[in-house]
Amino acid sequence: MSGPQRFIPQESGVLLGRFAPMEADLLRLATTQLLEMLDSGAADLGVAASDGVFGRLLPAAYRDDDEAAAEFRRFTAPGLLERKAQNAQIVLGSLGVGAGETDAATQTDSADRQPVTIILDEGAVQAWLRSLTDLRLTLADRLQISPDGIVHLEGADTPFLRELYEWLGMLQEDLVYAIDV
Amino acid sequence: MTRTAEQTELREAVSLDRPWVTLVWDDPVNLMSYVAYVFRSYFGVTPEQAERLMLQVHNTGRAVVATGNRESMERHVEAMHGYGLWATLAKAEE
Repeated sequence: MSGPQRFIPQESGVLLGRFAPMEADLLRLATTQLLEMLDSGAADLGVAASDGVFGRLLPAAYRDDDEAAAEFRRFTAPGLLERKAQNAQIVLGSLGVGAGETDAATQTDSADRQPVTIILDEGAVQAWLRSLTDLRLTLADRLQISPDGIVHLEGADTPFLRELYEWLGMLQEDLVYAIDV
Repeated sequence: MTRTAEQTELREAVSLDRPWVTLVWDDPVNLMSYVAYVFRSYFGVTPEQAERLMLQVHNTGRAVVATGNRESMERHVEAMHGYGLWATLAKAEE
């Protein structure tokens, strides 16, 4: 499955990334959903304080002190959620800018769509690394991945979600290696 | 008598000053390469130290990645949560 190098460092310091149109669509879709979820958490911190996916995006900072953990969450959750949402916005921005795609092209379901080229500066790389993690954490919750890494979700969506989860991991690893000095 | 009391007082003072630690816990989601990268770029440790800490998390389930006062440990934990790592803080073990 490993094609040509995904992210290529340029002399100017930015990274050039290439995505197949379908890959870019998928990442846009997943990131848009992540953003909606983060916004819902930011709009209602009570939701964010509950279990589920927010429990993993905003884990308890104190293991044996619920009160201190709740206070930590009260102070940090708004900022963390805002920054996570900003990161997701940056990912969406990178996928839009320089994508060479018009709405018409997006709607055309044909094979002649061009690969999507993206340019990531240092700030965008950081946003991508974090947002890819948030996406994987969200998917891991959905897939009911247990601490030993086993997927417990059994449903029609499972193979697709699992493949997306693995693909996002490869993407993140490619990115880490591309900036590794 | 006096001596014993002084020693007790000293022990208490030491115990009050016991530092806090930032712990990073193993999770099935985060990639080893990414965790090592975070340790390197955020804590500024060498690649070798980052690798060792990452392997400690992976193999033993957790690692102490920073020691200090409570406020700075809370800052580190918040930063780790920003990266998506599972981090907590606690009083250092005696």
